[in-house]
Amino acid sequence: MAVEVTMAQMKFAILRHAFRGQRAQTAGTGAVLGGLLAAGTVYLAFSGPFEVLAAAYAVWLLGWVLGPVFMGGGDETVRPEYFALLGLPARRLATGLLTAAFVGVAPLVSLAALLGLLVVGVRSGSVLLAVPAMLLQLAVFVLLSKVSVALVGLALRSRLGAIGSGLVNGLILAALGQIWVFFAAFGQTGIPSAVRYLPSSWGLLAAQGDWRALAALVVLVLVLLAAWAALLGKRATRVSGSGRRRIAAASSGGAVIAKELRTWSRDLVRNHQAAFALAYGVGFAASPLLIGWNGMLPYAGPIFVVMAAAMASNLYGTDGTALWLTLMTPGASDVRGRQLAWLSVQAPIAIVLGVAFTFLASGPWPLILALLAALLGGAAGLIPLVSVYALVPGTDPHRRAGNPLRTSEDDGGLTGLAYLMLASVLVTGVPAGLTAIYLGWAGVPVGLLTGALCWWGFGLLAERRLRSHGPELLDTMRTGRKPQTRTSFRTDHLSKTEKAIAGWCFGLGAIPLIPQGILAAVFVSNGMLRHSWFLATYLPAGWRYPVAAGFIALGLAMYGTGLWLVRPNRPKPAPAC
Amino acid sequence: MQTALELRGLTKRFGDKVAVDGIDLTVPQGSFYGLVGQNGAGKTTTLSMAVGLLRPDGGTAQIFGADVWTAPDTAKAIVGVLPDGLAMPERLTGREVLTYLGLLRGMAKDVVAQRAAELLEVLELDTAEKALVIEYSTGMRKKIGLATALLHAPRLLVLDEPFEAVDPVSAATIKTILRGFVAGGGSIVLSSHVMALVEQLCDHVAVVDAGTVVAAGPLDQVRGTNTLEDTFVGLVGGQDKGIKELSWLSK
Repeated sequence: MAVEVTMAQMKFAILRHAFRGQRAQTAGTGAVLGGLLAAGTVYLAFSGPFEVLAAAYAVWLLGWVLGPVFMGGGDETVRPEYFALLGLPARRLATGLLTAAFVGVAPLVSLAALLGLLVVGVRSGSVLLAVPAMLLQLAVFVLLSKVSVALVGLALRSRLGAIGSGLVNGLILAALGQIWVFFAAFGQTGIPSAVRYLPSSWGLLAAQGDWRALAALVVLVLVLLAAWAALLGKRATRVSGSGRRRIAAASSGGAVIAKELRTWSRDLVRNHQAAFALAYGVGFAASPLLIGWNGMLPYAGPIFVVMAAAMASNLYGTDGTALWLTLMTPGASDVRGRQLAWLSVQAPIAIVLGVAFTFLASGPWPLILALLAALLGGAAGLIPLVSVYALVPGTDPHRRAGNPLRTSEDDGGLTGLAYLMLASVLVTGVPAGLTAIYLGWAGVPVGLLTGALCWWGFGLLAERRLRSHGPELLDTMRTGRKPQTRTSFRTDHLSKTEKAIAGWCFGLGAIPLIPQGILAAVFVSNGMLRHSWFLATYLPAGWRYPVAAGFIALGLAMYGTGLWLVRPNRPKPAPAC
Repeated sequence: MQTALELRGLTKRFGDKVAVDGIDLTVPQGSFYGLVGQNGAGKTTTLSMAVGLLRPDGGTAQIFGADVWTAPDTAKAIVGVLPDGLAMPERLTGREVLTYLGLLRGMAKDVVAQRAAELLEVLELDTAEKALVIEYSTGMRKKIGLATALLHAPRLLVLDEPFEAVDPVSAATIKTILRGFVAGGGSIVLSSHVMALVEQLCDHVAVVDAGTVVAAGPLDQVRGTNTLEDTFVGLVGGQDKGIKELSWLSK
C-alpha cells in the first residue's frame, strides 16, 4: 500500500498548495454546484422511482467520461511521467494513480451523490450490498474517465486515432441508418429501460439486492484497471517500445496467416475498418433500445460480419504491389491464409456480439447462429473472390500521403465494391436464414454447410483467378489502370442526380421498411394503438395493415431502386485474354 | 555451357506505344550481365517479363531452360528478384519479411531463421530490428529487397536498379556479396543508369534503346577501346545532336 498512500498524500499536498486565491474560488464554486447536484441526486433516491435515479447516475457517468475529454484532458495533478524513472510495474502505477485520483473535489462530490445508493439500500433492506456498491461505482466513474482520456490522448497521434475515428464514423452512420429510432424516442415519454443496464446503474442494482451487479462492478473495475495500466505503459514508452512477436509459423500457410494477422493489428486502415464495422453493428442493432425495443439487438453480430466484409472488399488492393511476392512464390496458397486470418480476427468478435446480445434479448437463437455461420463463411469466401475479380487499384502503402485512411484515389470504385460486397454477403445468408425462420434449429446446419461451401468454393475460384491473372492484377496495381474488360459495379458512372437518388434510397429506405412498416404492423397486431409516431397505429381499423404493408413495399422499393442504380453494367463484351 | 536466362522475341505494348519490341537476350551461366539504357528504354518492362511479373504480348522467357509462363514453379524457385519500386508486406519488420518469404518458399524454419539473421547482419538492417518496412528509408528498402532475393539461394539474380539510393558503404557490401555469388557459380542480370558501376562489376553488357537491344555481348567487345559511357552515348544519344547546353544559363 506504500505506493498508493504516498501518491494520495502527494495529490493532497499539491491540491493544498494549489487551492489558494483564484483557484480556491473556482474550486469552491465547483464544489458548491456539485454539492447541490449531489443533493438533488440523493433526493431522487428518497422520492422518485429508481428509473429516474438510474438516469441521474447515467448523467454523472457521462459527465465523468465526456467532461475531461472536452475540457483539457481532466485531472493531471499527479502524472504517470513523474514516476517513469522509478521502474514501477504498470499495474502498481495504475493502482497508485487511481488512489490518488480519489483525492479531490470531484470524487468527493460524486461520492456524496452516490450516497443515494445507501438510501436505496436502506429502502430495499440491503445496506450490506449498498456500501461496497457505492465505492465500486465511484471507482468505475473515476476509472472510466481515466481510460477514456488516455484513449483520446493516444488517439490523437496513433493507431487509436484510426480506431477512434472508425468507431465514431460507425456510430454516426448507424445512427443515420436508424434515425427513426431517435424520432420515436423524442416522441416517447419516460426513460428507456436500457439505462438500467448501463454500468452507471450497476451500483443501483446492487443496492437493490442484486449481488450479481456487485460482482459485475468488481469485474468492470478490474478490467478498467488493467486497461488503464496497459494505456499508461503506452504513454510512458511513447517511442514504440513494444516487443515484436517472432513469427512462430513453420509452413507457408502459417506464414500467410502470421503476415495477415500482423497486418490486421498494425495497419491503421484495417484497425479503422474493424472499429467501424464493430461500431456500426452495435450501433445499428442497439439504437432501437432507445424506444425500448430489443428485437434488433441480436442482429449486431450478423450486421458486424456483413459490414466487416464490405470493409475488406478490396483486400488485395490495399496491399498494393506487394502482390509480386505472391506471384514469385506460386507454390504457396495466399488465398486460404488470408481467409483464415480474416476469420480469426472477425469471427470471435462476431460470435461474442451475436451470443451476448442474443442472450440479452433472449433469442432468437436458431436464426442468429444460422446467420452467423452462413455469413462468416460467405464473407470469408467472397472477400478474396471479389477483391481479385473486381480489384480497385490502391496507392501503395509506402507512397500514401498524410491521411492513412485514404488507400486509393478511386473512391467511387471503392464505394461500389463495398456495396457489391454488402449485397453478395447478405445473399449468402439467405438459405440459412429462411430455413431457421421456418424450421428453427435446422437452419444452423444449413448455415454451417453453406458457409463451408462458400469458404471452400469461392476461395478456390479466387486462388485460380490469382494464378491465371496474377500479372494482370499486378499491372493494374502498378499503373492504376484497370483493363476495360471488367464488370463494373460502381457509383462514378452515375450522374449527380442518380447518385443523390441512390444515396437517399440507401440512407432512408430503413424508415418506411422497419419502423413504419414492420414495427407498425407488430404494434397493430399487439393492439398497441396511437403509439408515438407509427402512422399505421393511428388509422381506422381497416387501414392499419394495408398502410403498414404499403410502407414495407416502399422501403423495399427504395432499396431496390438504389441497388438498380448502382447495378453492374457491362460496357463492352470482354475480349478473350 | 548452360544458359541462365534466355529471352526470345519478348514484346510488350501499352496502348499504341511499343514498350519492348522483340528483345532477344542470352545470359550465359556464371556471367554478371549489365542491362543499360535511358529512362523509358524498356529495361524494367523487360526484366518484369523475364521473371513472370508481367505477361508479354509475344515471345518467351526461360530460366535455366524452364519457361517462366508454362513451368512457373520450376522457374521461379531458382530465381531471386529485386523489382524497382514495388511494395513489400509493409507492416512486417525486416526479419518478419524474410521469415514470411522463406516459409512461403517452403524452406525449413531453422534454415530461414539462420539465413535471415545473417542477411540482416551483413546488410546492416539488424539495428532497425523493430522498425516496420513501411518506416524504412529508400536505401533500406533496397537492402531488404536484396535480402529477399538472396534468401532462398537462387541460381539467377535479376536486379532492377539495385544500387539506387544505397549509401556508399552499403553499396560496397552489396558489391562484395554479388561478386561472391558470381564467383560461386551464380548468374546475375542487373539494370542500371550508372555506366561506371556496370563497367566495374559486369563482364557482359547489353545496351537497350527504344525497346530493342542495340548492342550486346562481353563488356570489352561492346565498348571496344572507348569507355562504356562514350559507347552508350554514341549508340543511343543520336548522331549529330550531341549534347546541348542551355545558352542562357552561363554568361
